Amino acid sequence: MISRRDLMKWGAVVPALVGGSARAMAAVPEGLDALVVDSRHAPGVIANPGGVRVLRFDGDVTQLWFETLDPLWRKPGFVLGGITGRDALFVLETLSWDRGRRVVSRKDMPGRSGRMDGPISWVIAPVHPSVKKG
Amino acid sequence: MRTPPGVSAVTFADGIAEMKSAVGEEWVFTSDPDVDTYRDFYSVLWGEEDERIASAAVAPKTVEEVQAVVRAANARGIPLYPVSTGRNLGYGGSAPVYSGSVVLDLKRMDRIIEVNEGNASCLVEPGVSYFDMYRHLQETGSKLWIDVPDPGWGSMVGNALDSGGGYTAAPYRGHFEAQCGIEAVMADGELFRTGMGALPGSETWQQYKMGIGPCLDGLFRQSSLGVVTKMGFWLFPQPEAYMSCSVELQRFEDIEPLVDLFNELEYGNIFNGMPSIGSPVLASGNPLIFAEIPEPEEMNRRVRETGLAAWRGSMVFYGPEKVIRAQWEYVQERFAHFEGVKFKENQFVKLPLRPEDMEKIQKNRFGIPSMEIFSVGSRGFGDFNPSDGHIWFSAIIPRSGKGFVKANRVMRQACAEHDVPLFMFSPAVTCWTRSFVLFAAVPVYKDKEKNRRLRESVLKVIQICAEHGWGEYRCPPAFQDAVMDAYSFNNNMLRRVNEKIKDALDPNGILSAGRYGVWPKHLRDGRHA
Ligand SMILES: Cc1cc2nc3c(=O)[nH]c(=O)nc-3n(C[C@H](O)[C@H](O)[C@H](O)COP(=O)(O)OP(=O)(O)OC[C@H]3O[C@@H](n4cnc5c(N)ncnc54)[C@H](O)[C@@H]3O)c2cc1C
Repeated sequence: MISRRDLMKWGAVVPALVGGSARAMAAVPEGLDALVVDSRHAPGVIANPGGVRVLRFDGDVTQLWFETLDPLWRKPGFVLGGITGRDALFVLETLSWDRGRRVVSRKDMPGRSGRMDGPISWVIAPVHPSVKKG
Repeated sequence: MRTPPGVSAVTFADGIAEMKSAVGEEWVFTSDPDVDTYRDFYSVLWGEEDERIASAAVAPKTVEEVQAVVRAANARGIPLYPVSTGRNLGYGGSAPVYSGSVVLDLKRMDRIIEVNEGNASCLVEPGVSYFDMYRHLQETGSKLWIDVPDPGWGSMVGNALDSGGGYTAAPYRGHFEAQCGIEAVMADGELFRTGMGALPGSETWQQYKMGIGPCLDGLFRQSSLGVVTKMGFWLFPQPEAYMSCSVELQRFEDIEPLVDLFNELEYGNIFNGMPSIGSPVLASGNPLIFAEIPEPEEMNRRVRETGLAAWRGSMVFYGPEKVIRAQWEYVQERFAHFEGVKFKENQFVKLPLRPEDMEKIQKNRFGIPSMEIFSVGSRGFGDFNPSDGHIWFSAIIPRSGKGFVKANRVMRQACAEHDVPLFMFSPAVTCWTRSFVLFAAVPVYKDKEKNRRLRESVLKVIQICAEHGWGEYRCPPAFQDAVMDAYSFNNNMLRRVNEKIKDALDPNGILSAGRYGVWPKHLRDGRHA
């Protein structure tokens, strides 16, 4: 389970991660089982930053959710971080509720123009007893 | 804990305790963060006192658990609002019509009870999503297709019960029409089966809809009379090939013969896939917004100047290659006499699909569920962000050229006059074979004042449509009373009969109160003018 401290660290490291910073790549907090990256918003993120598995998609989350996330979300555990567009988070968040999960951290990031229309960084974690570990 | 109106806190707590003992403590949700997941994120009443909000939610796993919950509610007058997957965005989400109801969330009832390959049918529980069924058909190597709406996260049962529609062949794309056999828990907790399901030992529940006597499946469409716990559907045997084609015509005046001929060809089984009537010259700006159809001279002038066709009739053929090529040839023969006609074979696909086909096809035409629709905004189609939301305005209009032109003009003008913003306005759509439906997607806001104005405007458009004889086939809860009011033949006999049935089958008025304008007796007074 991701700790409060790790969640705060996650919030701090994301902007640099999106910018492709090598230091940030190494500083992805513990407790995340995987990181979802929306290529429209964070093309620079490398595979396995800090040893965390990266799952990439390009706007439409269908295949990623159907093939990878849904089977994982049916089992207990699995904390997922993400840097995605608002539209993709809307879909993933709603789907995650069906499997006893909630967005436990959410942070808007400035877009390329500096306006708040950029990606969102988030963490989805299990909260319902049927999927909580331990 | 929120409490339903008219139910004391003690009675409610007692009811919730009984529900917990029926389904297990962890499947009854009363905390605000949990119950908030049942808000309608596309509500036109967002954040207002009148927003339709649940008091709690209960998620049973079996029919017996549903019966126990319904009995607990009925004994105490606790209002319940059953949903299947509760993804009815644009038409109410998973929020109840009557605030304070307990959402009866049937997502956990997700058993695919049977897929009958020979009869091309299935029997499912309400929590079976389109994705669940697709996965099952893929994993079992089935040769059957489902018909899917745009977002694949909904359920076969919930979508059909709200009368949803999809994109494949005629017998399947009207989802309530494709159902065959319903099981429902009634308000007193009794179990009811329609059609051949009423005959013990029958093997034809998913083969013959009607059984004996009055056909009662319709009691559960857009209704407040039962909790549907099983539903059968007819499935589409995978065809050998798919071909989409179009006919382009060059003059405004061609619209009437175009629609008439399309009707003849579809009803005569010359093509079996979903047709649509669009206009290249009018959709040359934003492809999601069908412009107001101008006067004939103006439209013909634009056609001449742009070289774009006035009308495009698109049709789809499913079947053996030999047969559908012959059918297309016949269609071309029938249209050959139109001046300047152009024929296009847009796509031919041999089935089953190969992995490389997946990138090229429109998935919903092949019964493949997807969530792609929620990313259209990022592909530059209009100002669409799914987290802001929209409502659907969906009017049934005549399936004729004249009817289409008139409805397009009246609705576009009404939307303009009453400042109804649009991010999608459809061409003539044919989810149901014998009529057209015109869809408008109207953005909603998280801003009370904007939503208040929007509601007033939409009510005016409902009224204008009704004056022309066009009624919505489906709508969000905030407009359900107004839409039902518009079906006013013989002093609103439709609603009055529905109310009599409601009183007889649900005398305590606990199920889905207010759905589509049918309120139980104790909540009815003063509601209708
Ligand atoms: C971008 C977008 C595109 C869309 N495109 C389409 C489309 O192509 N076609 C289409 O049809 N819809 C479409 N919709 C509308 C909607 O999202 C779907 O119809 C969706 O499938 C409905 O949600 P659901 O299946 O979870 O049904 P639910 O929300 O579970 O059910 C709908 C309603 O039916 C009743 N109900 C459900 N289950 C039961 C039960 N077991 N017993 C008694 N009553 C019950 C309830 O009143 C419930 O509110 C679209 C929406 C959006 C936002």
